[in-house]
Amino acid sequence: MQNLLKILLRYSNFLVFIVLEVAAFLLIGFNNPYPRSSLLSTANDAVAWQHETVSEINGYFSLRHQNELLAQENAALRNELSAIDSTEHGAALHYTSAKVVQMTTDELHNYLTINRGSKDGIRRGQGVRNGDGVVGIVRTVGRNYSVVLPIINTRTNLSCRFAKNDYIGTLQWDGKDCRFAMLTDVAAHMVVNQGDTIITSGLSPVFPEGIPVGIVENSILKEGDSYHTIRVRLYTNFKRLKYVEVIQNADQNELEDLMHGLD
Amino acid sequence: MDWTKQIGRYVIVMLLQVLLFNQLQLMGVCHPYIYVMCLLMMPITLPHSVDMIIGAVVGLVMDVFCNSIGIHMAACIMLMFLRPYVLGLIVNDKERLNEQINQHTVGLAAVVKYAVILVPVHHLIVFALGAWSWHHIGFILIETLVSSAITLVVIIGYNTLRYR
Repeated sequence: MQNLLKILLRYSNFLVFIVLEVAAFLLIGFNNPYPRSSLLSTANDAVAWQHETVSEINGYFSLRHQNELLAQENAALRNELSAIDSTEHGAALHYTSAKVVQMTTDELHNYLTINRGSKDGIRRGQGVRNGDGVVGIVRTVGRNYSVVLPIINTRTNLSCRFAKNDYIGTLQWDGKDCRFAMLTDVAAHMVVNQGDTIITSGLSPVFPEGIPVGIVENSILKEGDSYHTIRVRLYTNFKRLKYVEVIQNADQNELEDLMHGLD
Repeated sequence: MDWTKQIGRYVIVMLLQVLLFNQLQLMGVCHPYIYVMCLLMMPITLPHSVDMIIGAVVGLVMDVFCNSIGIHMAACIMLMFLRPYVLGLIVNDKERLNEQINQHTVGLAAVVKYAVILVPVHHLIVFALGAWSWHHIGFILIETLVSSAITLVVIIGYNTLRYR
């Protein structure tokens, strides 16, 4: 016993090191890819407040441009509203506007923080868009702030379809350029043209059908390939993202329950 | 040895890190973590295990700002674990380590060697754990190289200007 104690004492520093590293790795493992606890992430009030202040200060330098964008977006929204009135809309959708308080665009695993949280009805898994197109999916929700996983994150998959003929594909990001993403799983027999419009498929309850995603920039089909390699120019400009809308689908819970029931 | 000075520097360096260096966006390869400067300059007066716990806390605070829980923590613990061994190799006069580690106490050459060994280790761990796959290994290495270079310039620059 005394020997054991002696050995433990002798290697106590190394033991502390191992214990601490194991704790760190457990934290990483349980929270991969993004922290689940809002306290330990940028959804934390104090940290988000700091980011918000920084973006507020930066905001003054781009006020004119932002105003322009807002005016454009207002016009687009009015158009959309009239379109909705004249068509039957399946699910009851509710849009909550939010401001982006912080965002990364040049990492492999980008994320953004918005100034809406559980008190505004935001829940994990809700879709996020802006006036131009798809932005991402809500990942971590705090009381006042939430963290969103954008489509420019190598871990995000988005089910899309071609507007012209309803062919389905999966949108993924290759981690290189935040203006482009890759569309995979499109069979070789389909004809892909430059400039084809890609929209959300509506196959998952996260996004309703028909939200613009991007247009085909180029497509490569090598001899013997059974799938196209398609590069899509995204409509959303992530470098200038300031305002987004969170899509709250009243039927989302029911749809998800149904899907889980199938597993 | 004045701990208020260490903590004061930590607060200022963290503000610089979060408000300035975290905002740098240079083709995705430039993420310098200058906050390690505070850990590197701490004197070796506390027990080794306490040093590592301080590293864990400093890393965890940084993680909260980066949405990367555990990653900076793991890297900082490793940094604090290796620190006394690396210093032992570089600095002969152990008495000098009881004060804060800078150009005055151990000399510029030792500071440079010490930082050049430990900063890339820390950065590599952060980027490798952040990517969490071997897929992006080339990118991780470039990111480590560029970011460590900037961190080293800041640390060594601070040393030469402050402790002339």
